[in-house]
Amino acid sequence: MPATLSPSEAPPVTSTGGGDFVTLPPSQEGNWHNPGGDGVVQRYKLGVWIGMGGILMFFAALTSAMIVRQGLSGDWVPVAVPPVLYVSTLVLLVSSFTVERARREAVLRSSDGLRRWMNVSAGLGLAFLACQLLGWQDLAGRGLYLASNPANSFYYLLTAGHGLHLLGGIAVMGYVWVRIRASRPWPTRLAVVEATALYWHFLDVLWIYILGLLMFWR
Amino acid sequence: MTEVQLSKEVAEYTEVHRHPEPKSFIWKYIFSVDHKVIGIQYLLLAVVAVFVGMALSLLVRLRLVCPECSYPLLGQFFPVGAPEGVMTPEFYLAMLTMHGTVMVFMVLTTAPQGGFGNYFLPIQIGAADMAFPRLNMLSFWTTFVSFLLLMAAFVVEGGAPMSGWTGYPPLSAVPEATLPGIGQDLWLASIAVFCIASLLGALNFIVTTLDLRAKGLTMMRMPLTCWTWFVTAILGLLAFGVLLAAGVLLLMDRNVGTSFFVPAGLVVSDKVIDHSGGSPILWQHLFWFFGHPEVYIAILPGMGVTSHVLSTFARKTVFGYRAMVYAIAAIGGLGFVVWGHHMFVSGMSPYSAFVFSVLTMCIGVPSAIKTFNWIGTMWGGKIRFTSPMLYSIGFVSLFVSGGLSGIFLGQPTVDLYFHDTYFVVAHFHLIMGVAAIFGMFAGLTFWFPKMFGKMMNEPLSKIHFWITFVGVYAIFGPMHYLGMLPHPRRYAEITSVDYLGTGGAAELHMFITVAAVLTVLAQFIFLYNFVKSIFSGKECREENPWEATTLEWTIPSPPPHDNFAGKVPHVYRGAYDFALKGAKRDFAMQCNDDKAVYGEPAPQASGD
Repeated sequence: MPATLSPSEAPPVTSTGGGDFVTLPPSQEGNWHNPGGDGVVQRYKLGVWIGMGGILMFFAALTSAMIVRQGLSGDWVPVAVPPVLYVSTLVLLVSSFTVERARREAVLRSSDGLRRWMNVSAGLGLAFLACQLLGWQDLAGRGLYLASNPANSFYYLLTAGHGLHLLGGIAVMGYVWVRIRASRPWPTRLAVVEATALYWHFLDVLWIYILGLLMFWR
Repeated sequence: MTEVQLSKEVAEYTEVHRHPEPKSFIWKYIFSVDHKVIGIQYLLLAVVAVFVGMALSLLVRLRLVCPECSYPLLGQFFPVGAPEGVMTPEFYLAMLTMHGTVMVFMVLTTAPQGGFGNYFLPIQIGAADMAFPRLNMLSFWTTFVSFLLLMAAFVVEGGAPMSGWTGYPPLSAVPEATLPGIGQDLWLASIAVFCIASLLGALNFIVTTLDLRAKGLTMMRMPLTCWTWFVTAILGLLAFGVLLAAGVLLLMDRNVGTSFFVPAGLVVSDKVIDHSGGSPILWQHLFWFFGHPEVYIAILPGMGVTSHVLSTFARKTVFGYRAMVYAIAAIGGLGFVVWGHHMFVSGMSPYSAFVFSVLTMCIGVPSAIKTFNWIGTMWGGKIRFTSPMLYSIGFVSLFVSGGLSGIFLGQPTVDLYFHDTYFVVAHFHLIMGVAAIFGMFAGLTFWFPKMFGKMMNEPLSKIHFWITFVGVYAIFGPMHYLGMLPHPRRYAEITSVDYLGTGGAAELHMFITVAAVLTVLAQFIFLYNFVKSIFSGKECREENPWEATTLEWTIPSPPPHDNFAGKVPHVYRGAYDFALKGAKRDFAMQCNDDKAVYGEPAPQASGD
């Protein structure tokens, strides 16, 4: 469907409402299911989709452990979610929009735009993590430490697990930045950006799930 | 870049981007991103690990037949575990634990998937490399770190952990219950790192299979080896995350005082342990949710190699290819819903036990489909009894023998009696340990000419096969009887039960130990054959010495850096086209179009 243009020409973008399609030079290893095309982008995104399966199983295991542990004995003292978590949630939701903006800039092959919005997103990611740390401080201020109670243990564990995955996302954003500096060809750059955006949205949804678990399954 | 002679077998190629070959030693052999080098790295790691694991099993056997014997050399290495060379019961348990851990994780999980899968999946699907080569390198080196962490447990104060490869709490969770030391923590760290490595590897395998297949290579034309690597990767992806979570919880119980797995009021050495309200059973659920799929992670690739080799050397197509694929998928799927059968004696509700039991019995159906299809593949074939063929037939035999005892153990009422006896040891060693190892022997002897451009010494391989085949039955056969006595497993020594201690059981133990020593010695025949053949084996520069059908046999031996020299072959047919009517040869390679197979004019298109 998309027109084929040589890589030196202007970015061939076809807006279809459902997303943007870009034709990449044939040297970028499109596969036979999708010949002549965006093989690398698809492959990276497929990788993220598959990776989500593994991450979900990790959190599913923690969730089931939490539910079982709660029903085991009478030592479970529910912990109130610190209010700063609402701020962090808001920050993360906004960052999903900025990541999406960065992705669009990448589709349009704008290095400056990509860098700008990637920086904003990474900044928001760090702000989110700072809020999570404040949340921990809030708990600690109430005398609720990691081992004081199983409810606290799971609070710290779930937030830390999610935070580490987010830190990984920020690290990949740094990698994108390096790739822009090194003037790597657009298709491979775009592949990393698309994969990062997908991963970031996934972490967003995962956080909503964890927040729900902490709020309503106390 | 060296010029590569393209195969005359291939009817048509697609041009792809060609990858440059690294020049320096470090990037070519150490931190290589080439799937073939990484595959060999995994295999070498597994070879080192398997000899460590075998040495540990010998120590276990020696302690069982002679608790008071002294081995001065051992005393020098382990002054605490074996003072003056006499193994303590704690030392026995530590060796047992490390034997299981090394074998399950570092051998059975790495070699079939990380080793052979890495080397041959991309070639068999016509790709230049894995989907994410650098991630692939990261997977291997993470696995290597995990191996080092595990080995470090031997040398730290307090020695290796003694809670079994299953790491059951409270023994694994309460430091006060064992010798003081960080052995168990290193073990847990090793397992956690291994989980991460395996998750990355699984992701890579899945994307590679889905995304990099050559033109014409539909899923239903893939060799069964690729199917098993693919399904194994899915199992790994879904199982290792759970073990990782469980491992983190256990590490926290040990080190920061949380109470996930340690119950309240636990008394160890007249001291109340400061934990509250956890449950050791929770660990068992999490562990076995991983642990059962892990069994299939170990055995599925062996099944793939067996199907592949049986078909090639019986010169017949795989009997019921589609049924084989569905059976692989069914075994993988059912593997996730039967973990409770490891816990029949944990006090679970009889109703749950019944459900787990029925689901467990269901696995017999796809397993039987596979077994009958293997026999059907050989039936009436012009069998060539090469060494890979012998190992594959051995695999079928061991799989059946080990599977039959599984039907006993899968029933809660019978399992109450057999649980934690040598019957279980016999069962899982035959089906998961030795059968999988025979799959590896089959794979190694089958693919050796492709990997190294040399042949292994056939007579030596056959001698090794017969000694090992008889040897493993001599070791694990009598264990069924020990289990029926019932002789409990994991005990360093039986002191006060006459018929187990000094009666017939002791003689059986001696028989098993002698058989074990001889079988382990026989493995040096294979090692010698393997190493010698790499350096001075008979040259084999032919592309296709076995007259096989899949794509790896269309490229030079050993394969060049990017496999197909910047081209991808087109695939025209299924993986096991043998004994075709009207064909010019008795086999058709996957890349042969009908013109190449039948000459002009083509009578009809062959099916998948």
